[in-house]
Amino acid sequence: MKRFELIAVLAASVVCSAAHAEDSVTIGVHASFSGAGAAFAEGMLAATDFATEDANKDGGLDVGGKRYKIQFKQYDDRYRAADAVTAMDRLMIQDGIRFVVGPMGSAAAVATKDQTTSGKVITMTLAFTPRALGADAPFAYRPVITTGEFSDPQVAWLMKSTSAKQVVSLLPNDETGQQIGVANFNSYAKAGTKLQVEYFERERVDFVPILTRILMKADGLELGGNSPTTAGLILKQARELGYRGPVFVTGGDVSAEMLKVAGKDAAEGTYVHLPIDTGLPDTAAYVARFKAKYGQNMNGFSPFFYAGLQMLFTAMKKAGTVDDTTKIAKTLDGLSDVPTAMGKAGWTGEQKYGIKHQIDLPFYVGQIKDGVVTKVATCDVNACK
Amino acid sequence: MSMDIILAQTIVNGLMVGMIYVLMAIGFTMVFGIMRIVNFAHGEFYMVGAFLFAILYGSNEMPFAVSVLLAVGATALLGLVMEWVVFRRFRGNELNGMIASVGVALIIQNSALLMWGASARTVPPVVSGVLSVGGIVFPWSRLVVIIGAIVAVVSLNLLIGYTRIGRAMRAVAQDSEIAQVQGIRVDVIFPAAFVLGVSLAAFAGVLMAPVLSVSPFIGLAPTLKAFVIVVIGGLGSVPGAVVGGLLIGLIESFAGTFVSASLSEILQFLVVIAVVLLRPQGLLGRKEREA
Repeated sequence: MKRFELIAVLAASVVCSAAHAEDSVTIGVHASFSGAGAAFAEGMLAATDFATEDANKDGGLDVGGKRYKIQFKQYDDRYRAADAVTAMDRLMIQDGIRFVVGPMGSAAAVATKDQTTSGKVITMTLAFTPRALGADAPFAYRPVITTGEFSDPQVAWLMKSTSAKQVVSLLPNDETGQQIGVANFNSYAKAGTKLQVEYFERERVDFVPILTRILMKADGLELGGNSPTTAGLILKQARELGYRGPVFVTGGDVSAEMLKVAGKDAAEGTYVHLPIDTGLPDTAAYVARFKAKYGQNMNGFSPFFYAGLQMLFTAMKKAGTVDDTTKIAKTLDGLSDVPTAMGKAGWTGEQKYGIKHQIDLPFYVGQIKDGVVTKVATCDVNACK
Repeated sequence: MSMDIILAQTIVNGLMVGMIYVLMAIGFTMVFGIMRIVNFAHGEFYMVGAFLFAILYGSNEMPFAVSVLLAVGATALLGLVMEWVVFRRFRGNELNGMIASVGVALIIQNSALLMWGASARTVPPVVSGVLSVGGIVFPWSRLVVIIGAIVAVVSLNLLIGYTRIGRAMRAVAQDSEIAQVQGIRVDVIFPAAFVLGVSLAAFAGVLMAPVLSVSPFIGLAPTLKAFVIVVIGGLGSVPGAVVGGLLIGLIESFAGTFVSASLSEILQFLVVIAVVLLRPQGLLGRKEREA
């Protein structure tokens, strides 16, 4: 992100919150703006920036015949559960915010779940843990597609395509990593492949000792679930050690940042989860808008949050209120085929999570070829083709 | 892969990480030994050095040697300013100096975040390829780190052992008041020691930038390691920092390779606890004289 653009967005968020207009709605962006996941947070912030900009175009969001100016304010949880709770307290109690883009990490989502549920705060989380959603969290929504949705069909397709039989995975030793580790292990087992999961402390940057051991017998390396920076570092160091086997990144969209860290040569041939199809005109327009404003490739999660906010604003309009979050949530639950930047979206997940708060959109498998991610398969929750 | 090969690779990995820790810990322990300040901003100078090198060598494609000199020099200048503005007021005041250093660390880290962004950036390798000896693969990028760090440590040893300023630093570390009575200008030695420590951290950052990646958040882990190492080696002891750094690097490498990454962290802190219990002054540190 261009520095001055980021500073401008940050400044705007502060100014917006300071000048709290009477007919206004503030969206809190609760994410890890510092730490290894900052690229995700920047994507979430940019989505909120664009969504509010669009909503304010004609004088504000029209709800019940009244125009509401949408503004946003950011809160940094520094990728730590304790800081996430503090940030959520500030957001809810100090600033009285009822709509949140975030929490970002699984640990943060789990740690703040009780707060947001009791405060009836509508959240749009990036957390991959299944515990982020549920009947006990009626105000928590997830506008991104997670490992729980894409892991099984993607892994089945990848194992069929590469014939890997013994895959190793490196994941951070925290709530996020452990949940993804279990999900990945099960998905690989279903595909008939043994997955060995190795955990490391999140602050670790030198993976060579671990890689020296785990790559001895492996014919596949799974990096899904790591931050883009970490995935890039592991990939770079694995290639330095002479590993030439296939690499899979089945979790999250890490391609742009991972390519920057690992370099084009090390990343060549890597299979990645591709959350968006830039062949769709609206998605391509969003990508171009991001590039034009921030001067760099966007994180693939960003348009999902934009789509989530589009759905939220639609629900506010239909519910005719910006204050009654119970009514807004109920309206949001009933939305389907909402035109968004990612295509027509609705909600799914009742069977898996006990509540229909998981966004319903197609997803893709990509492969890095000469520094560019190319779509190689299109998937839904049942299969990739 | 045979056990001999894995063993050799594990040793090389441990030496590389250990030598970086040595560079970090020497600067950290020197500042403590001479100024009595536990400088938790030390890792941020590592980060600044790495960032400047990434900008000069990676983005602007300047010659390697020029990039190294400019990155280390500019970071040293930043260190000098910080010493003049902040740290000189806390000389000998360990607790307040430590708190001030945490503040300086946060200021430097967040300034870097605003200036350079949160995204990690990579630096093109200074050398590429691997050295293959009898089936053992050593990435050249890592061997360069080991060689660079050895050169830095030997140079520092010569500076401290055989130059006028080095002798003055040792004298100030032993007793600053007596040193001043002997005509040593402690007002020059304090900033000189601080800048030397900062330069070593910046050089460590420069060496590691092409091997790892560079972001505003890379300073914390080396600072914590440096702290652990100087506790093991002995606060204020340069030889202790060398022994402690290599020990931690090898523990990390062996435990990570043969057992698990989590156990390597546990082992390091078990060593720290054992040293604190059995030899509180550190492996090569001296006991504080009681008044």
